[in-house]
Amino acid sequence: MSATTPREDAEVGGRPLPPGWAAPAHQPGADSLADTTFEERARENLARPFQRTAIANATDHTVFALQRRFAGTAHDALRDEARRIRAHAITNLPTYLEQWVDRAEARGTQVHFAADEAEARRIVAGLCAERGVGRVVKSKSMASEEVSLNSALEGAGIDVVETDLGEFVVQAMGDRPSHVIAPILHRTQGEVHELFSAMAGEDLPDDPEALTGFAREGLRHAFLTADAGISGGNFLIAETGEVAMVTNEGNGRLTTSLPRIHIALVGIEKMLPRRTDLAVLLPLLTGHGTGQQITTYVSVLGGPRGAGEPDGPEEMHVVLLDGGRSALLGGEFEEALHCIRCGACQNVCPVYRQVGGHAYGWVYGGPIGAVLTPLFRGQADGGELSHATTLCGACDDICPVRIPLHDLLLGLRRRRVAEDVAPLSERLAFRAWGLAWRHPATYRASTAVARAGLAVLARDGVVSRRVPGLARWTATRDLVLGRRR
Amino acid sequence: MTDRASFMAAVASTPRGHDPGLPDRAAAPDAPTELRAGESPLDRFQTEAEAVSTIVERVDAAGAASAVAAALEAAGAGAVAIAADLGDLLEPVREACRSAGLQVDDYADVAPERARAAALDATVTGCLAAVAATGSIVTTGATGRAAALIAPTHVCVVRADQVVDGLHALVDGDVLAAAGSMFALQSGPSRSADIEKTLILGVHGPGRVHVLLVV
Amino acid sequence: MTRRVRLFTTCLADVVARRTADDAEHVLRALGHDVERVHGATCCGQPAFNSGFDEPARAVAAATLRALDDGTDDPIVLPSGSCTSMLRLHWRELFHGRPEAEGAARVARRVRELSAFLADDPAALRALGPRLDVRVGYHDSCHMLRELRLREEPRTVLAQVEGLELVPLASGERCCGFGGTFSGRYPEVSTAMADSKIADVDATGVDLLVSADPGCLLQLEGRMSRTGSPVRVRHVASLLREALA
Repeated sequence: MSATTPREDAEVGGRPLPPGWAAPAHQPGADSLADTTFEERARENLARPFQRTAIANATDHTVFALQRRFAGTAHDALRDEARRIRAHAITNLPTYLEQWVDRAEARGTQVHFAADEAEARRIVAGLCAERGVGRVVKSKSMASEEVSLNSALEGAGIDVVETDLGEFVVQAMGDRPSHVIAPILHRTQGEVHELFSAMAGEDLPDDPEALTGFAREGLRHAFLTADAGISGGNFLIAETGEVAMVTNEGNGRLTTSLPRIHIALVGIEKMLPRRTDLAVLLPLLTGHGTGQQITTYVSVLGGPRGAGEPDGPEEMHVVLLDGGRSALLGGEFEEALHCIRCGACQNVCPVYRQVGGHAYGWVYGGPIGAVLTPLFRGQADGGELSHATTLCGACDDICPVRIPLHDLLLGLRRRRVAEDVAPLSERLAFRAWGLAWRHPATYRASTAVARAGLAVLARDGVVSRRVPGLARWTATRDLVLGRRR
Repeated sequence: MTDRASFMAAVASTPRGHDPGLPDRAAAPDAPTELRAGESPLDRFQTEAEAVSTIVERVDAAGAASAVAAALEAAGAGAVAIAADLGDLLEPVREACRSAGLQVDDYADVAPERARAAALDATVTGCLAAVAATGSIVTTGATGRAAALIAPTHVCVVRADQVVDGLHALVDGDVLAAAGSMFALQSGPSRSADIEKTLILGVHGPGRVHVLLVV
Repeated sequence: MTRRVRLFTTCLADVVARRTADDAEHVLRALGHDVERVHGATCCGQPAFNSGFDEPARAVAAATLRALDDGTDDPIVLPSGSCTSMLRLHWRELFHGRPEAEGAARVARRVRELSAFLADDPAALRALGPRLDVRVGYHDSCHMLRELRLREEPRTVLAQVEGLELVPLASGERCCGFGGTFSGRYPEVSTAMADSKIADVDATGVDLLVSADPGCLLQLEGRMSRTGSPVRVRHVASLLREALA
């Protein structure tokens, strides 16, 4: 069966999006992170003060809302409990996965197994081809970013429409999301206005309500004409074989309700043992993610449309994604799998605040991105990211499931040394340092030389020129030796 | 192609980490999504629902159907679909809407016809339950997966005895035994803050959610 | 109560922040403590440890451990939260399963961050009559705040200074961008982080920016000196010395 041409019939509702509205999808997996440095990638954001202010305001606001949300509750006890549930689920993942698959299949869900990113793409594209899918609507899914799903589907001639407002903007611009929860945190209203006006062929009013209304019409049409809906999943519930997902806009619900086929792409680590665990994890996911009591929509999906039900997909498929996850089980970095993708560590990260999400180079930004990227892509490619943090510990303090991000980052730095991925210059520098400072005499001599050298360069106790060996440091900063007047 | 056995073998091939054991979840956790001691479930439901811009109106059983019609008129609705989970109220609501001059259809009849579904002004549903601490209404596949979202206005009838204390009571009790293929919580109108953190209601789902709490 | 105190001035003080070490010694002596600087200590090993180079970190830290583990129970005071955190919390990991482990544990029990040590007896400090009419913003060092959990101690110390007004900084608990080797590895990002902090400090309208960590101060004062911020920068020890003058 060949792909059917999507109906561009305005009668069906909404307004069709103009032809060619979407830019070719970005393929996160295709770029080598080693070709550029973190700082080179960060420069784009560093050069945009408005964006940095926007990120700062948005993240501050979310952290404030989070703190207010949990005030007066036993927040720490809740986090301890969440940590235990996640740790138990991950250490027993083989058992719970088997259980989940059995229960899901018993409820009519078709389960597929993707060992890696390429296989996930093949499975989803294959399902679409076999079923004559011409148009796909998507709700936000980081797993689909991981596997570069959109470009694979586009390559197969399928029309893909991202339906989360932010992701829709990202897709139209050929951009990448810069935050787990808020994909266009790095974009201004003016940019969205320009984009949508070009799509509409008229100058739309420059206010968020009107812009959102424009997107709603186009996306509504896409929902009503799509053959398949592709979503991620926030949790898999072993006890019931269900997939739980949260959204605020309602696009997740429409994606999984209106098209005749629903395909969920979910990482295997999203496992919870029981439905009751939602009572612990959901308030943490939503409270730490946005500061909300609960997201506007929570769907817990246990199979295709049931007998006697008025709507819903005829088929539900779940593609379980390993993609480097099983290799972490039982090891030093297993706790990275506890992550529930709330984005709170990004919001408090002082580095993320300056550089934005794109500097991390792949799919996940902030501290958890600096951990997951080298783990999923390998030290040679993403290893540098473990250094893209000051180890300030703010992420540890805010993580709803208490992932020791600081320790994981430090562990990754050690692994980088152990695997000889650290640059030669760095290895030589630390070796020389170690040799000189392991003896008090050579230590005293070297610090005396350093002091004497700085004294020569200083004027009134301040070194305000580039210091040999510290050129990059002193390019933007003085060395204040005495008391500055 | 990776089959189930080889996929699972990869997951099971690594040594197991430390298992802290699964906490017993007999009691509700102390979370924002639970009722606090001494709180009235109905009052908390109303407070939380209103906090996320839901219109909450308390009505008595005899006046429920006419209150639905009035809520629809207030929203300026013309074409309305009503969901089967209204139960005993289904026919009274249909009558009241007709008397008010609205065009009323069953959601089950409208849903398969996309163009008709898209042209609806409002849907009226019952619910499986409501959650006091989060101001959420809980619907199921029997309600219709898209029934609460397809139209600009959603009117939901909640009986007082359907209100459970918190999230724990919902997911831990027998309430969900009748859930069918799925269950869903909705808490207020659809919203987005993607454009410079400005809150916009009615993105993909309804911009107006009106709960009639039958007490 | 006055006692014998060992002062470990740290490598940063030996190279760029000698004044901090002198001021710390001065304040401790003013309180009547019998202060002896630790000789033979080099560095706590943190720069290498936090870069993943455990071997050189251990070699250097071992030299410092030999100098600090002197068979006494005297408190070892450091005018640096970050180094204190390294000795107190991370040496355990660094020397785990090694012959030095026992000595490292002994030292870990003795080390005190300067302001925390002073906060043990605020009345003694107050009795010296420290006075300085300034508006002060306090920058929490990450390692002091989130590893050692020392939030109130430095504030308690500052509160003993008559005429000193402590003004809360909106960004007080956010990292200054130093991060040890981070500041040299990613100087542009690090500088942007400092600038965001300095903008807040300048906007708050304080006379002095105070911290208890020479690393943070190196970064912030270095940037403020380069950009010409009107706000002056002091280590807690230096501020106290001025207040006692």
